[in-house]
Amino acid sequence: MSVFIDENLEQDDAGLVSCRHCSARVGVAADPLRDARVRESAPRTAGPSVRAEASNFTDREVVFRQAFCPECLTLLQAEIVPADEPSFRIRSLKLVGA
Amino acid sequence: MPVIPVAGAERFANLPASPEETRRIVGDSLRLHDVDQATVDALDPLTYEVIRHRLTSITEEMGEALKRMSGSVVVTDCNDFDAAIMDEVGDVVQVGLYNTELAASLDMAANWTLRERCARPGIGPGDMFLCNDPWVGGGLHQNDVSLFAPLFVDGELFCWTGAVAHQVDLGGVSPGSWSVGGSDVFWESLPTPPVKIVEGGEIRTDIEDVWLRRSRVPKLVALDLRAKIGANNVAHERLRALCEKYGAGTVKAVMRRTMDDAESRLRAKLRELPDGSWTSVAHQDSARSGDRGIYKIVLKLTKDGDRLVFDFTGTDAQVDGLINCTFAGLRGGIMPVVLTMLCGDIPWACGGIYRCIEIISESGTINNATFPAGVGKASVASAWATMNVTTECLAGMLDTHPEHRKRLMSVCCGTWDFALLAGVDQRGLGFVTMLCDSMAGGLGARSDSDGVDTGGLAPIPMGRVADVEMNEFAFPMLYLWRREEADSGGPGRFRGGVGASSCFLPYDSPLGGVHLVVSAPGKALPLANGLSGGLPAGTQHDVLLRGTDIAAQFAAGRIPGSLAELSGSTDLLPAHHETDLGPDDVYYTHWQGGGGYGDPLLRDPVAVAADVVAHKVSPRGAEEVYGVVLDADYATDLDATTTLRAALRRSRAGVDDKEIPA
Repeated sequence: MSVFIDENLEQDDAGLVSCRHCSARVGVAADPLRDARVRESAPRTAGPSVRAEASNFTDREVVFRQAFCPECLTLLQAEIVPADEPSFRIRSLKLVGA
Repeated sequence: MPVIPVAGAERFANLPASPEETRRIVGDSLRLHDVDQATVDALDPLTYEVIRHRLTSITEEMGEALKRMSGSVVVTDCNDFDAAIMDEVGDVVQVGLYNTELAASLDMAANWTLRERCARPGIGPGDMFLCNDPWVGGGLHQNDVSLFAPLFVDGELFCWTGAVAHQVDLGGVSPGSWSVGGSDVFWESLPTPPVKIVEGGEIRTDIEDVWLRRSRVPKLVALDLRAKIGANNVAHERLRALCEKYGAGTVKAVMRRTMDDAESRLRAKLRELPDGSWTSVAHQDSARSGDRGIYKIVLKLTKDGDRLVFDFTGTDAQVDGLINCTFAGLRGGIMPVVLTMLCGDIPWACGGIYRCIEIISESGTINNATFPAGVGKASVASAWATMNVTTECLAGMLDTHPEHRKRLMSVCCGTWDFALLAGVDQRGLGFVTMLCDSMAGGLGARSDSDGVDTGGLAPIPMGRVADVEMNEFAFPMLYLWRREEADSGGPGRFRGGVGASSCFLPYDSPLGGVHLVVSAPGKALPLANGLSGGLPAGTQHDVLLRGTDIAAQFAAGRIPGSLAELSGSTDLLPAHHETDLGPDDVYYTHWQGGGGYGDPLLRDPVAVAADVVAHKVSPRGAEEVYGVVLDADYATDLDATTTLRAALRRSRAGVDDKEIPA
């Protein structure tokens, strides 16, 4: 039996995480986005909602970081964060029976 | 300069104490009312519900009393206050539906007072204690002033009531006590530990003088003090009547069961959810004027069975500036989200809900700062960021459950866009006020619907925004507009609610202009993140136009509808700034919306078209972010949209030649 992690991901009894849209393997319970395709770009590529360049306000580089399903390229996670930080956005569902 | 430890500060570094520990400390100095478990168990369901709902309505009456007596627009028109009923040791039985962030640590302040003031000066009937010390509790920063009152029945301390409201100015270097240039608490309003300002039903004028002397608007603060006294008096009158009708033991039994019920129902809900952990981060850009740093709060939420552990390990150390918050502020960042996202169908009895929660936080970090770190902006800085990270983690937890996911919401608004005006008003009187326009923030998207546009702020269920006309009546300002802003809601399959902007100028002050304090992060990076592939909301954007031709345009009968229609120099304002506005200067402030939910390319193209027609999304946003092609009449071209979305799907992932499964 699988459990949903969110809109896009599900986890099976063995702890394998796959895309709910195309069934592609995306990761494992401890790291659901392990095999996701991650891309970083300038914050303003997120669209017109980013009103001004980050460099006006900070000396740290800021990036628009997106994680995609490696197969269907559905956007699984998006964040605008300092480039020198790893993504802190991690989920981990406990395996049933573990 | 680095924050230097202050000897003796540890006495005020309050942490919640258990009822047993509190009773042990109080000892024989005060008789605390109690009720045994048999009385609680013997309550009949009808009596329980009648009294429980009466307690809820009393907190609403407290709010009404506060609003009717206050003269501050922040209170009367924006509901930036709250009220609560607590048991004899301070555990919250019922919190009001106003600003729950403010009231999340009222219990800590009442409990500290019980432990520290029971022997000297003593606690008796008709006493009320004032507190604005964020290390003790009762509020998030010094502007949150709480007034809590013990209610005695038959010679025993039966319960506490408390009211807390934002005061517009309590001294400090900058107007509004919002010292954007400050590095520690000594730049800010003086924190006041609990002091008996009402004794035996009478205001102690010596204490009141000490209290009011610090403020730039003492009469307004004096009125707010009386408003809070009135709120407590109303509550006591109602509670006494309740005790006379049902008996104090029965009313206390209802208080106990209400907290027990909240605890057991929350635990039951948690047991329905899978165990796991959810980690996230919330950023803040700039700790004070001139600072270009970015600071983070990290939260790992672990759900194990029927309990939640909030672990903030990894959060940045406290900083020079005004953005830190105390442990009370940290709790103020957690409880509002727990209430609104997990407890919509559970009594808001925080005393029971806190039993399900463990907090791990290192002292000396930006959301658990030690004295004398600057905390003047705590409520909308590190406490708010704590709320953002809590929102993400709790929403992630709910997203795993087919039914409970309907209650999740992405991050709302990101922060409070703070703009404060001070000077001489059109009546020739000194004034200070924070503009509460950003109370109309965008709410986060949900798993099955868009966020509410300019719907408010998640922690303030009954928050309101003052009418433009009220602000113009009360303060020397004139609006050019206040309106929703396209693209400010986080894109997603379900879109975050849009935020808005205000544009105004000083008007009719005898001085010609006004003083402006700006404290609005989220400019280097958005603060309201999305969920499940939803994008963050828009960034904060504040612009100051100097030396415009606004007077000439008014003389010609024109009202500019955009910044481009105004002449003059343009300053893009940093997160923290303080300046004067002249009569020809125009200030534009644009606050954030809510985060999105789900991949924007999965949004119904017809919904995107409707968004464009309603000015929620720009044509550019529709094309570049949602991949929706519209014709000249904003009708959706479905074939072209399919083609564009396929291309966007590849290009945004950096794989232009990849085949995509159908």
